[in-house]
Amino acid sequence: MPDLTLTASPPLDGYHKQFGDTALTEIGDQALVSIAVPLGGADALDSAMTGAYGTTFPAPGSTALSKDGSVRFLGLQPDQCFALFELAGNDPVEAIANVLGDTGYYTDQSDSWAMLRLSGPLAVSALERICPLGLAPAAFPQGSVARTAMEHLGVIILCENEDSYVLMSARSSAPSFLHAVETSVENVS
Amino acid sequence: MIINHPLLGPRDAAEFVYLGDASLIDRPDWQSDTAADDFYEYQYLRDNPAGETRELWFHEQGDRSWLVVTRNTLTHEITKVELARDVALAAGRDR
Amino acid sequence: MSQPYRIVGGLVGRENLVSFRFNGKRFQGYRGDTLAAALIANGQRLVGRSFKYHRPRGIFSAGSEEPNAMVQLRHGAHLEPNTRATVTELYNGLEATSQNHRGSLEFDLMAVNDLLSPFLSAGFYYKTFMWPKSFWEKVYEPAIRASAGLGRLSGEEDPDSYDKGFLHCDVLVIGSGPAGLAAALAAGRAGARVILADEDFLLGGRLNAETLAVEDMSGAGWAAQTAQELAGLPNVRMMPRTTVYGAYDHGIYGALERRTDHLATSAGKPRQVLWRIYSKRAILCAGATERPIAFGNNDRPGVMLAGSVRAYVNRWGATPGRRVAVFTSNDDGWRTAQDLSAKGIEITAVIDSRDKPALASVPGAAIVMGGRVIDVAGRKGVTAIKLAKGQTIETDCLAVSGGWNPNVHLTCHQRSFPKWRDDIAAFIPGDEMPVGLTVAGAANGALSLGAALIQGTEAGHIAATDTGHTATSITPPWAEDEPRDTAAFWHVGESKARAWLDLQNDVTVKDVRQAGEEGFRSVEHLKRYTTLGMATDQGKTANVGALAIMAEATGKSIPETGTTIFRPPYTPVAIGAFAGRSRGKAFRPTRLTPSHKWAEEQKAVFVDAGMWLRAQWFPRAGETHWRQSVDREVLQTRASVGVCDVTTLGKIDVQGRDAAEFLNRVYANGFAKLPVGKVRYGLMLREDGMAMDDGTTARLSETHFVMTTTTANAVGVFRHMEFCRQCLWPGMDVHLISVTEQWAQIAVAGPNSRALLQKIVDDSHDLSNEAFPFMACGEVTLCGGVPGRLFRISFSGELAYEVAVPARYGDALMRALMKAGEAYDVVAYGTEALGVMRVEKGHAAGNELIGQTTARDLGMGRMVSKKKDSIGSILSERDALNREDGLALVGFVPVDRSEGLNSGAHFVSPGKEVTTENDEGWMTSVAFSPSLGHSIGLGFIKRGASRIGETVIAADPVRDRKVEVEIVSPHFIDPEGERLRA
Repeated sequence: MPDLTLTASPPLDGYHKQFGDTALTEIGDQALVSIAVPLGGADALDSAMTGAYGTTFPAPGSTALSKDGSVRFLGLQPDQCFALFELAGNDPVEAIANVLGDTGYYTDQSDSWAMLRLSGPLAVSALERICPLGLAPAAFPQGSVARTAMEHLGVIILCENEDSYVLMSARSSAPSFLHAVETSVENVS
Repeated sequence: MIINHPLLGPRDAAEFVYLGDASLIDRPDWQSDTAADDFYEYQYLRDNPAGETRELWFHEQGDRSWLVVTRNTLTHEITKVELARDVALAAGRDR
Repeated sequence: MSQPYRIVGGLVGRENLVSFRFNGKRFQGYRGDTLAAALIANGQRLVGRSFKYHRPRGIFSAGSEEPNAMVQLRHGAHLEPNTRATVTELYNGLEATSQNHRGSLEFDLMAVNDLLSPFLSAGFYYKTFMWPKSFWEKVYEPAIRASAGLGRLSGEEDPDSYDKGFLHCDVLVIGSGPAGLAAALAAGRAGARVILADEDFLLGGRLNAETLAVEDMSGAGWAAQTAQELAGLPNVRMMPRTTVYGAYDHGIYGALERRTDHLATSAGKPRQVLWRIYSKRAILCAGATERPIAFGNNDRPGVMLAGSVRAYVNRWGATPGRRVAVFTSNDDGWRTAQDLSAKGIEITAVIDSRDKPALASVPGAAIVMGGRVIDVAGRKGVTAIKLAKGQTIETDCLAVSGGWNPNVHLTCHQRSFPKWRDDIAAFIPGDEMPVGLTVAGAANGALSLGAALIQGTEAGHIAATDTGHTATSITPPWAEDEPRDTAAFWHVGESKARAWLDLQNDVTVKDVRQAGEEGFRSVEHLKRYTTLGMATDQGKTANVGALAIMAEATGKSIPETGTTIFRPPYTPVAIGAFAGRSRGKAFRPTRLTPSHKWAEEQKAVFVDAGMWLRAQWFPRAGETHWRQSVDREVLQTRASVGVCDVTTLGKIDVQGRDAAEFLNRVYANGFAKLPVGKVRYGLMLREDGMAMDDGTTARLSETHFVMTTTTANAVGVFRHMEFCRQCLWPGMDVHLISVTEQWAQIAVAGPNSRALLQKIVDDSHDLSNEAFPFMACGEVTLCGGVPGRLFRISFSGELAYEVAVPARYGDALMRALMKAGEAYDVVAYGTEALGVMRVEKGHAAGNELIGQTTARDLGMGRMVSKKKDSIGSILSERDALNREDGLALVGFVPVDRSEGLNSGAHFVSPGKEVTTENDEGWMTSVAFSPSLGHSIGLGFIKRGASRIGETVIAADPVRDRKVEVEIVSPHFIDPEGERLRA
């Protein structure tokens, strides 16, 4: 019987590149679970989240961090957010469901997204080439999240700080996504 | 063109997909005696004003919400943007 | 002697000498020169030949309005035609050649056109080239092609890259002359986020061309100082070499930034960047463009705009002539005489068309008030001018000023029209303005320096306040208002020789009058009939003069005559800049399946399926034709087992208390009672009753379903379902999210598919036919605990499953299946074999679901439940969609089994003519069936269900074929479905 262990493949093969002081790196091994709010169940979900994570459901455009810093909730839709945390094991939905019970509807999204961190002095000028959103601190402060289109790709952008952004895009088009971001950094360096 | 999303603020129209007139929210009752005519009118008959129209736009590359956009087809001015869900609920739509 | 017309002074430093070539001849100039300035410094008077008449032409202006000095820059693939020498920054090694001549610039063989000019007047091509008819293709068209156009393309692919970008600001200031600098200063100091853009490489606008003072320093000095202060403000972004070319809706502006055109090489970086600027407020400070006067032979080299002549002297330290004359209708032209005279350049005459006292005395110059120039001598360069009263005056450069036109263009990009002001005899911005846009300075009709500074400051102040930045009141920088009286004077009536209006398209006063006589009097007709204003300069120095002539000819006023509509771009933009990165492979994103890398290793042939790349077939060594591979894949799958990556199909996760009811509403057939652990085929209609999409939906729990859609419709179905959820039934508890990317999904099909899966799926799961029958589904684990899902569904008609794992394991799963399948001679199959098998089985797919066919046509009429509300149900009952002789989906085989079939062929009864009246339907899908050994097809034909066994003709007039076909059941293999249920 041949050994048929299944090993995981990361979307961008662990990509990392330095452009002077600016770095573009794949973020691997993240779990991403979508949490949808049942109709009429917003209060119950908020309670459960407060109890379990010490934070409430984030409004679209903002993110909320759990008290222990292990989970960041991304406010993407009025009735849906993404929980982002370190992947451990094969059932990220279970990790959330165990804690929030049936106060929400959960769907695994951990494999759907390729994730990049762009950080350093060139980050904003590179993003200016592909991101239609205004990124000035007043408009998109630390902790902001948004979903938009960049180079014909759907991208989620998260501001970690003025010089550091996390970008997520569909796994299947990861090479095109990487090419778009990489070209942007090259074009401004 | 810029659509001022009620929750997310101004976004480029390139993030959206246009469907049609906001009257598409008013889907007729399938059990009405006049259902055949009602659905025919709903599907095919439209006013085509030069001026203010109410349109349905889907924020496909954003938060996936449907919006009702009040827009002047002559000046392109957008005077109102509402969540379509709210418009539907206000019109008495339910299940 | 190098640079014989270079003089002392100007803003160009003399340290950086550069060498360049024009028409192969080597010249010298300085960094900071434009190509035109350097050519003038070197005494190069001739720079091109005119479009129609091939007349010798020289440099006319000093800006982007230039109509004559169009050169080809660079060579090879970088060759760029129609570049204006007046805005081309000089760099070491620059190569430029003149355009539009056969033979040399000095001796253009096409100059004979000038002699034929009586036959080449306005609209001549509407009246010629018609006879004899045969000459058109062989003589006229090739001749026209050879002589048409200005400049030529390299014919090679553009080797440079271009980029795009997005900028946001509170205040966009367009133009960095006195008004723009003052506006940027006011807004910038108030803390607003400002973008200051100027097409020039040196900020300052006309300040750099004039000898006017601001506060206590030179205008140019003040400009430099202000630019420096602005550059130091963190909230101000300076964008020189950036043309704001278009004003779009809602404060959006298009801008083209030239990043490397002033360098010898782009060094691999994008040559230009096309910016989309989102502004809250914008201030147009685009200045004004001088206009000429039309008189006999006014197109000779050396006849130039007066303001440009002094720009070359004041900014670039290069004089266009040593014995200069001035012809003006206004006060401003006099400054050319004064500035040049102050620099020691001889002024031979100042001719002012107005009957009034002279404005000044100019040493050595003949002053002729109330004078007019009627002719210019010197075909390849001015030598003298003739006046109306008979005098001849020697001169080597005639500086002409007919007034100044405010650059209102951007205010008109959204279809508003400018309005006329008699006092400056010019158009100013109209009353309707793009939202958020104001105008300041000369662009607003405030042509003098003092006024420009005041208007700019005020506009900047207001824009900053409007965007939430409190500004302490700012005192505008002070400057005198120089004299600017103007008289409207368009054309010297006494001229006998032709008088030019549009230099670039070679349109004269005579042409405009002729257009009027022939009835083309509206400005829109005038433009198109004469081509005035349609060249690359968009008539910047021609439009108003032409309007004036037309107004005169029709007895109307200029405002009554009106203007055509200005449209973006303000100056030409390379197509490459609009394309940006969307070229070649990067034209659009590519989506790869989880098994793509593995498929590449197998040397699969790929096909584009929307944005996806899918394996089409997997050729084996020795196979030379695709049919060999595809036939093998089909036969082996049906004989044993085949695997195919089907990840691309849309997958939508549906959850909620009302999930089942929701699915009941979007599908035509019933879903509310689907048991947990079962999958069902679903047909989705459009509201008009047409079949829209199909797929299978699996129930994982009471409140949890997973729907599949076709690959092509995944995005559209999701959009449609969100519409239903949010707009139609907002009171339902149901949520949707795409999981197409989340799950790698592989079809495993064939008699040995169960056996193969039993090696992959962990033993705890019973895959026997009893435990996991046809259309069952469930969550499973594979290969020692990896979570997965299994669906027993079949597209091929064989015993089949689809197995899904999180996408990170997709590659590994494919390899594991192939490894474990070796015992069964497992075959990987691609989209081609997938298609053959579904045609053999008789499954409808994209070719049948074209958006114009109904459930009834597909043979699924009874699936549309009348017991519930569902999208499309009501309108699907319309009479026209339910005719007795309506279409039905059936199968077709060629009567002569050795014949092939064409999809798209239309059916007519035997003996009937192939006409639309006799058209009974069409063939939708065809394939060679390896299972049957001959071609088969699916198609729609009237009353098809009751015509099994009948013979009809499949007619394909496009490919000129007619094939006799027999109508059969669409289910070619296993019609009873025994294999499915094995």
